[in-house]
Amino acid sequence: MRRHPLLPLGYFACAAVAFLLAAMGSVWLASDMAGHYYHPRLLALTHLVTLGWITVAIMGASYQLVPVVLERPIWSERLAGWQLAVMAVAVAGMVSHFALGTGLGLASAAGLLAVGIALHLLNVGLTFRRVTRWTFTARLILLGHGGLTLTTLFGVTLAFNRVWRFLPDDFFPILHAHLLLALFGWVAPMVLGVSARIYPMFLLTPEPSLTVSRVQLWSLTLGVPSVVLGVMDRPPLLALGGFALALTAGSHAASILDMVRGRKRPQLDWSVRFVVTATAFLLPAAVVGLGLAVNFLAGPRPALAFAVLLLGGWISLTIVGMMLKVVPFLVWSRVYGPRAGREPVPTLAQLCWPRAESLAYALLVSGIGLLGATVWLGDVVWIRGAGAVVALGALAFATALARILGHLRSGGVVHVEAHAR
Amino acid sequence: MERPWPLTDLPEARRVHLDVREEIRAGREPFIRIMTAVKALGADQVLVLRAPFEPLPLYEVLGRRGFAHWTERADPDDWSVWFFRDAEPVSAPTPGPATPARDARVVLDVRGLEPPHPMVRVLQAAERLPLGSVLEVRHERRPIFLYPQLDERGFDHETDEPEPGLVRILIRRREARA
Repeated sequence: MRRHPLLPLGYFACAAVAFLLAAMGSVWLASDMAGHYYHPRLLALTHLVTLGWITVAIMGASYQLVPVVLERPIWSERLAGWQLAVMAVAVAGMVSHFALGTGLGLASAAGLLAVGIALHLLNVGLTFRRVTRWTFTARLILLGHGGLTLTTLFGVTLAFNRVWRFLPDDFFPILHAHLLLALFGWVAPMVLGVSARIYPMFLLTPEPSLTVSRVQLWSLTLGVPSVVLGVMDRPPLLALGGFALALTAGSHAASILDMVRGRKRPQLDWSVRFVVTATAFLLPAAVVGLGLAVNFLAGPRPALAFAVLLLGGWISLTIVGMMLKVVPFLVWSRVYGPRAGREPVPTLAQLCWPRAESLAYALLVSGIGLLGATVWLGDVVWIRGAGAVVALGALAFATALARILGHLRSGGVVHVEAHAR
Repeated sequence: MERPWPLTDLPEARRVHLDVREEIRAGREPFIRIMTAVKALGADQVLVLRAPFEPLPLYEVLGRRGFAHWTERADPDDWSVWFFRDAEPVSAPTPGPATPARDARVVLDVRGLEPPHPMVRVLQAAERLPLGSVLEVRHERRPIFLYPQLDERGFDHETDEPEPGLVRILIRRREARA
């Protein structure tokens, strides 16, 4: 079995570019962010974040982590390579056609995106066929891919509706269901499942207990269909689903706190700090989300703040943290793995750039927190300022990643020479 | 956990005991004393270090000097870590010649190490493995990234899970086919 670290690295590089563009876009679109979220340019920005950044990053992580988690090689790395090309074209097409407001172009790009996602589902599905041990992580990855399938079906339906108009005039329930499926049906199970396996590996701590895992699995399984049905046609289910998802979030946060407290690795590097801080964003996100679910809060302002806290705070900071751990490992495997045991090789920490990572941490955490507050207030100047802080943070993160990736180009020659001296 | 081969039936004369619990509780740094003891170790001696917590940073420091470790915990604040020279072929404790035999077995426990240290330690030990000997690696999980490296370097390997939380990988140098 030969594994190519360059495959997930390609996904991560594309995702990081999308993150940087989206962060810069938040400065440019500050006045739109002070208005209603159903705006062509805001829809473009949202899809750049959810598809270009989050989904592409999770797919890349899948191709690196699924073999580790399932202890099986991925079914076809070549197919995964083709899938990245399809995804890149499709996401670029969707984002630009959303911004331009062209229905047919959007529907075509959505169709192409569905092909890219189908290739991913096929690859992961055929990998799962060989799984014999259904761990918590394996179950959540499967659940997440079920959520991805439904999210795609809802999304393609909405895109085709722009051309052929077959949905009722009030299509907002389907739009909200699409977003909730993406957040809680696709992204949340993937983050929960992967973190239960990967964080213990790097924090040197036991995996979450069976009870905690069961609470997360069942509350998510109950919560996702409840909120989706709730926003579509059954309002009482929305509150029930909201509480179930708040329980998932609380249980996940408690398990992360347990792992951090029980760790054998005394120092918290920047990647772990990102992950822990990302988890802290779940608290305000859960409060605002519950407020929306029980109708205590309403309207585009808290809804946008909820999206920023969840997409920017919890999910994006988690992905940034994971990338700062996984990318050095993949680069190390590619450049130094074949030399390990034969000559001195650097450690993972020596591949990283802590100063850039600490700068990214300070800027992204403060910027996203500020952005969440300012979109709620709807003040353009403050939104632009917060967006600028996020953009600078994304730039620091991209710089830190680029420096790690630079080892691929130098082939480690510079470092090994320095090591020898 | 079962004691690794190099430590089974180890005579007391080959054990060097060092207790740093009081020193750490008094707020003093025992690192220099530990390293002095390590430097003074004879070729066949083992350092038995007692500490009030698991001394994780030492695993890496001494690992780079070719020491493997085996850890026991008597109480939450009483840890004994046995540091022994790693990847020296140690024959099974049966009567026989002192030189490594074809069936010599080297045990390497890489549990509790952060990636990619387990891979580095295993590949270092594998590269020094004589033909006919076996490297027994004790791991927390199946090392998916290690297998391709072993395949490319001409090692056969087989993995089993004798108990929950313990993955055992047996590695042998592939014999040249006639």
